[in-house]
Amino acid sequence: MNMEKSIKEPIVKMEGIVKTFPNVVANDGIDFEIYPKEIHALLGENGAGKTTLMNILYGLYKPDRGTIYIYGKKVNIRNPSDAQKLGIGMVHQHFSLIPYFNVLENISIGLKELKINLNTNKIKEKLDRIMQEYGLQVDPEKKIEEMSVGEMQRVEILKLLFRGANILILDEPTSALTPQEVEELFKSLKSLVNQDKSIVIITHKLYEVFEISDRITVLRKGKVTYKGFTKDTEQEALVEAMVGRNVVFEEFNRKETNYTGSLKVIGLTVYGKGKIPIVNKVSFELKRGEILGIAAVAGNGEKELIDALFGLIKANEGKIFLDDKQIDNKPTKTRTQLGLSYIPGERLTRGVAAGLSLSFNSILHDHWSDPYIKNSLLNENEIRKFARKIISSFYVNANSEETLAKQLSGGNIQKFIVGREILREPKYILAVNPTSGLDVGATQMVRQALIEMRNSGAGILLSSEDLDELVSLSDRIIVMYKGEIVGSFKRGEFDKLRIGSLMMGKKLN
Amino acid sequence: MNESLILLLIETILIGMVPRAMPIFSAALGETVDQSAGILNLGVEGMMLMGAITGLLVDYYYHNIVFAFLAAGAVGILFGAIHGVLVITMKLDQTVIGTALWFVGWGLSGVIYAAIFGISSAPPTVQTLGHIYIPYLSSIPFFGRFIFGEDPLVYILIVTLIVVDYFLFHTKQGLNLRTVGQDPRVAEIMGVNPYLYRYAAVIFGGLMAGIGGAYLSLAIVGSFYFDLTAGMGFIAVALVYFGKWKPWRVFAGTLIFGAVYVFYFMMENIYPKIPYEFYQMLPYVVTLIMILIIGTKARAPASLALPYVKGE
Ligand SMILES: Nc1ncnc2c1ncn2[C@@H]1O[C@H](COP(=O)(O)OP(=O)(O)OP(=O)(O)O)[C@@H](O)[C@H]1O
Ligand SMILES: [Mg+2]
Repeated sequence: MNMEKSIKEPIVKMEGIVKTFPNVVANDGIDFEIYPKEIHALLGENGAGKTTLMNILYGLYKPDRGTIYIYGKKVNIRNPSDAQKLGIGMVHQHFSLIPYFNVLENISIGLKELKINLNTNKIKEKLDRIMQEYGLQVDPEKKIEEMSVGEMQRVEILKLLFRGANILILDEPTSALTPQEVEELFKSLKSLVNQDKSIVIITHKLYEVFEISDRITVLRKGKVTYKGFTKDTEQEALVEAMVGRNVVFEEFNRKETNYTGSLKVIGLTVYGKGKIPIVNKVSFELKRGEILGIAAVAGNGEKELIDALFGLIKANEGKIFLDDKQIDNKPTKTRTQLGLSYIPGERLTRGVAAGLSLSFNSILHDHWSDPYIKNSLLNENEIRKFARKIISSFYVNANSEETLAKQLSGGNIQKFIVGREILREPKYILAVNPTSGLDVGATQMVRQALIEMRNSGAGILLSSEDLDELVSLSDRIIVMYKGEIVGSFKRGEFDKLRIGSLMMGKKLN
Repeated sequence: MNESLILLLIETILIGMVPRAMPIFSAALGETVDQSAGILNLGVEGMMLMGAITGLLVDYYYHNIVFAFLAAGAVGILFGAIHGVLVITMKLDQTVIGTALWFVGWGLSGVIYAAIFGISSAPPTVQTLGHIYIPYLSSIPFFGRFIFGEDPLVYILIVTLIVVDYFLFHTKQGLNLRTVGQDPRVAEIMGVNPYLYRYAAVIFGGLMAGIGGAYLSLAIVGSFYFDLTAGMGFIAVALVYFGKWKPWRVFAGTLIFGAVYVFYFMMENIYPKIPYEFYQMLPYVVTLIMILIIGTKARAPASLALPYVKGE
């Protein structure tokens, strides 16, 4: 171990941090330290609680329990201003910049050292000095909306340095950068550390961790599962800390299935801005009576793939066949009529019409067909009956089928959506994080329902942030990284370490 | 028409347009600050009417024009504060609340008037606000009275314009306020309290609408009647778009409106055969055309009319 480093006192010490959101313990007794002059990588799966922990340090959330010490002194960080006074600065996953303002204006917002007069010359001088000192260059007069992501990133960091931040927290700073921009960023980070700054970097990419960090903390489901110096860390151990051990036990009764028919995808490609592929030549076949899991860190094209399959966005290239019928040129309505169902990740905006009753929400896909329509009019009795069936079968906690969707809690909305998509008896289901935000009992119920659908012949494409869920439900798992399928595993060969490594950009040899 | 007649026409417009522009300008300046902080105030019309009736009552009974304006401003502030509680704290829909406030001000001012002065009797009148004629300078031909012969409130409002413009674009607090209008979440992250700035904005907006209304009843008409403002509050909102949230441009817009207003008064006398309603329509049509031409390119503050909910 590096003796010099281990002797130093931490400048930030978070102790026993607990933060609970409705239905989720985001941070469950976390201890976290930052030492002077280090780059500290904070890792963990989607939803592990990384952003929450850092938001607490930055004063955006109040922890339910726990203590924070800065330079050994107990502090109470009530808001970002308090954090800034303590020398803490944070760059969020979504930038905190006003696109319409230029760099100088963005830096001056809420700036304590300005009294009244917006003295741009003074600000510009100081900014020039800082840009010199740390080798980060931007044009002070340029508007943010005219900048590349890399430039915006620099503005964010400059903003923190301008306010005298000694501890810089960067939440997934590289996710939208080009490889060259990442390299530049890392160069600046190293020079910052040489000038006595400490940095926390959240990332999902393994090679970045080993390239840039001195120390690593891993979170998993709100708890710390690994702490150590980067140079003493084995990749395997790291991935295991993130995804958990490979414990295999069958909890569901999965039948042998042999149905004909499949959802076939051939060379599907979706372009983003500037013709960069978000989904890149993806091909697979989902059979009926099978659950096919997609493992991916959020933002690697898994969302766009499913959107394209359901017809919410248009695929630029490739073909989709549903039971040998080509559907890539068909609208969503046709796809649902052919037996496709969709459990969306954004439940409030995509899963329900929040201002309508549960009855109407129960027939969002089917309001044009029997038995919900009679003589061109809505058949309210049948609709209510169906809504009541969803409510009782999936234990949705609602007063009646006339309750508005938005009056339900998030978990109950989720149960309602899953129930609707399953009870309409589709041939294929596209499910995105179907159990997110559900308590233990409801999670089990939904998983059981998906297995039963599979056993009775539905093909299910399951995209989940929870690798354990994928492993316990799927018949096969494909891994997506940067829009491509980079690995495929059969049940019985699931290896969370290998899957996790692939998700984080490690090539398998 | 010969040349001297045209010159006379222009001079008349110059002299007449400033007072005509002022009620709208006062309200529009308040609305500019409101909207810069992300608050859409569609209740200006109602707030102006409340200012107008309050000012008139105070002046009528106490014969003190300064008090009258102060009282009108205070009622405006009260309405602004109510507006703030509804849309900032309670986060209710700004369009609906604005419309509701318009109705309340519109109805309430009429009821107060009817309750005190009755419906049939002749309207109460007060002396209109006197002008300041700066010696010598105001006698300069053509521009003299236009620049050096206005009533005191015009000068006060011009000073306010300069101050507000400086505040918005040359002070830190102005930048903070505009940030709140663009993205209150960013403001909060940068250590700025979005609620505080929004409240300051609605209160200023209410104050200026109240003063604008009182200007109409006390400086121009010298009286009050039902629906005195006749849509000027909405013109004020429209001119903020025309002015692209820049106080000087908004001011220019209100002057154009004032000029068209005076022009229609004159044309009505020159060509009385054309129906009066046609002339009355002109300033509004011109405003509409101005907005159509310029307003389409205007870019409103990104968070205009959106409530700020902490932690979302
Ligand atoms: N404001 C909130 N309200 C309710 N739940 C929340 C809120 N913020 C986070 N959560 C939940 O807390 C858990 C941890 O979220 P957090 O954003 O900290 O994860 P993360 O580790 O940053 O994940 P990612 O890698 O996806 O950014 C998640 O289950 C998330 O849904
Ligand atoms: Mg995060």
